[in-house]
Amino acid sequence: MAVATATRRARIEEFDTTPESMMRRAIKAGLIGGGAAVYLCLVGIVPRFDEREVISGLLNLGRTILILTVLATGYLAARPAKVLPGQPEPPAPKAGVGLTAGLVSGAIAGFLTAVLLLLGDAIPMRNVFVAVTDRLLDILAFGQNVWLGALLQILFAAGLALVASGVHLLRPALRSAFLTGLVTVLMASLFSTIIDQILTGTGEYVRLQFLDDTGWLYDGDALTVFGTILLFVVAGALAYSRATRGSLIKRRMEAVPEAQRTTVKLIAFALIAAFLLVLPHIAGRFISDVLGTIGIYILLGLGLNIVVGFAGLLDLGYVAFFAIGAYATAMLTSPSAFTEGPLTFWAALPVVVVITTFCGILIGAPVLRLRGDYLAIVTLGFGEIVRVLVISEWLRPWTGGAQGILSIPDPNIGISLPLIGGPELDTPQELYYVILAFCVLAVFVSYRLQDSRLGRAWVALREDEQVAEAMGISIIKTKLMAFALGAAVGSFGGMFFAAKIGSVFPNSMVLLVSILVLALIVLGGMGSIPGVIVGAIVLVGLPEILREFVEYRLLVYGAVLVAIMILRPEGLFPSARRRRELHEEEIEEAQFEARHGETTGAPVVTAGGSEDVR
Amino acid sequence: MSLLQLSGVSKYFGGVKAVDVVDLVVNQGEIVSVIGPNGAGKTTLFNVVTGFNDPTSGKVTFDGFDITGLQPNQVTRAGIARTFQAVRLFKNMSVIENVMVGQHSRTRAGVFGAIVRPPGTRSEEKKITKRAREMLAFFGDQFPPRFHDELAAGLSYADRRRLEIARAMATEPKLLLLDEPAAGMNPRETEGLTALIARLRDELGLTVVVVEHDMRVVKGVSDRVAALDYGKKIAEGNYEEVSGNEQVIEAYLGKKHEDTRGREQAVAGQTETEGR
Repeated sequence: MAVATATRRARIEEFDTTPESMMRRAIKAGLIGGGAAVYLCLVGIVPRFDEREVISGLLNLGRTILILTVLATGYLAARPAKVLPGQPEPPAPKAGVGLTAGLVSGAIAGFLTAVLLLLGDAIPMRNVFVAVTDRLLDILAFGQNVWLGALLQILFAAGLALVASGVHLLRPALRSAFLTGLVTVLMASLFSTIIDQILTGTGEYVRLQFLDDTGWLYDGDALTVFGTILLFVVAGALAYSRATRGSLIKRRMEAVPEAQRTTVKLIAFALIAAFLLVLPHIAGRFISDVLGTIGIYILLGLGLNIVVGFAGLLDLGYVAFFAIGAYATAMLTSPSAFTEGPLTFWAALPVVVVITTFCGILIGAPVLRLRGDYLAIVTLGFGEIVRVLVISEWLRPWTGGAQGILSIPDPNIGISLPLIGGPELDTPQELYYVILAFCVLAVFVSYRLQDSRLGRAWVALREDEQVAEAMGISIIKTKLMAFALGAAVGSFGGMFFAAKIGSVFPNSMVLLVSILVLALIVLGGMGSIPGVIVGAIVLVGLPEILREFVEYRLLVYGAVLVAIMILRPEGLFPSARRRRELHEEEIEEAQFEARHGETTGAPVVTAGGSEDVR
Repeated sequence: MSLLQLSGVSKYFGGVKAVDVVDLVVNQGEIVSVIGPNGAGKTTLFNVVTGFNDPTSGKVTFDGFDITGLQPNQVTRAGIARTFQAVRLFKNMSVIENVMVGQHSRTRAGVFGAIVRPPGTRSEEKKITKRAREMLAFFGDQFPPRFHDELAAGLSYADRRRLEIARAMATEPKLLLLDEPAAGMNPRETEGLTALIARLRDELGLTVVVVEHDMRVVKGVSDRVAALDYGKKIAEGNYEEVSGNEQVIEAYLGKKHEDTRGREQAVAGQTETEGR
């Protein structure tokens, strides 16, 4: 308990609101924010996006990134104390203290960028930092001479940070409105291509002129001034109403009588289904293609989620099943492969599933007795073995070695699908429907498995293998089941990958695939089925859509992962179980407090029996 | 009629003779306590019976079948359930889920059942939930229905111990092995536990073997007591016989006492402090 007490004390100190500690935090925030701004300049992000406008004629993306950095600095510097569970609310800092903290942090951040400007002017830095161009210095100096520019830089940053710190003084509802408006404008600008496309597509689909012609909202990639104001006001107003009166949807839902809620839910479900069905029509070829890729990763993610999320077996070689699924499909269906009479995609499908499931058991069997790190390392090896095998000379007659297998047919040949309305399945739009259908199936299967005798056995196994065995659970059978089912679901991902690209190559079967699939599970929330979908959209969809950032893809990727793991360690969309796991400490802490009569804020969970609680 | 029979069971870890040629018979409907100082081999004995350790030599017979060397899950299926010395619940499962897992070996639904959910699986799931609620109801007001969906990690220490027993009961055993069930409980909770163990036999017809340090529990529940020291069985009989046995007292206290009046209390006192 001594450790817990020490941690608690450390946390209280962290959220101390005395002027001294606020200043200390302001200086820290300023240094971090300034450092981040300098870093963004040095890696070339700021000058690179100088041409990309956010608000037409007013603001470019490079400048926006700098502004956001400073705003975040000021906001964080003046952040008031968090209320910990079971702790009395600390006194709010005086308005002046918060504003001063923001001002100081902004000035420090501005000072650092000013130093960069002066240094860049004084000494030739380009030899080392290629991004420090005259253009960058010009941006930093606001087009003035360096000394005036440096001064402006400090004043500008201090002013912005002051504004950002002032946000804390607003009422919570207004603050939420302001932040939501800001984020909405930013998102609308970043995703201009896809939003524009969807609006236009919808406009054509339902024949609405103002949607079809988006000139009022977008000017090229940038938002128009009118569009910016409109979005900011609308999003802000919605957020304000939500903050003051609660969520509109929730209120409406509560107004519906208990008996009819299922109906309402069904209608909502039908609307989502309808949206998913018309999506490729309004979104066009490119987005359908991206959606197909996301779908493939959702399938892979759901498969691995069974192994890692449900059964807790850390498998780093999941790419093996992806590769087996893709190669088996290719070998069975491609006329260029060894098969005499190539099968159609649909005829090959059951064969591929059986093969992959069998391989799942084959790979699972030798690692049954391994746990944790050891399991991870061995499965990592298996993933590599499969890649080495497909590239090897030995299997060249079948796998094509480094050349891979080409001309894999689309899923349409031979069978027309009456459900999807039309025999032709050759465009990404139509492949999207097939992938969507299998994703829905995989989601359904995952939910059913999770909520079953087998699902409970997996969780038990994850929690304590020995005790699970003492409960009569056969470890061998249960683990193999997880590997086999994980492989089977994942094999669909491989199959559609092969069908979508039309060819398979050994260099698509790299370790990075395993890592990406694992990362999307962790990001979404381990063991959470909606989490897998969210994770796939964020980690696979965003990079495809934000192609303009392709040079900085890995940088953003890493930053996003780190940020999410710090801010939401349970993932974006955690399963209820996982959320509880990560807050276990807080529950215990609250119990401890209640027993010792320090505070009585938090409710205590106990099933009775213990003397000192009663 | 003997339900569990250990004949010449030994378990050596290298040179350490954790259990050394132990014979023990547990009859149907009996409550037997196994006592002994720390390191006497009591838990290892449980591990050998439940399949967590294979015996170096000897034979374990349960209900007329040789269960020597079976896997733990097979032993559970055969009808032996156990709890653990350090409470080992599935902390991140709810109270009721913990008990539902206990039903695993008595149910059969597999992958097909999970995905398709035919009527058979549905009724089996209903049966599992019903049985789990029954098991929890056995503990009276300790686990009222509104706590069934709480996380096991949020329970008080004594409740965790009780939940572990409920989970073991859910495997529908004939024989229940309890490893220091009273450890960490206060006197009132210990009293409740003693009554509970008696009810397990009287109401459910279970045969119970208890490893215990707390002499109040041992005295309260045991039909028979067996004492272990250095892996060997040094005494067996009813509570009075064993607690008065010279060798047992020597094992606990290390030397012979001339004054015999204080012995029983001395043994009880000594072991109570050990149990903490």
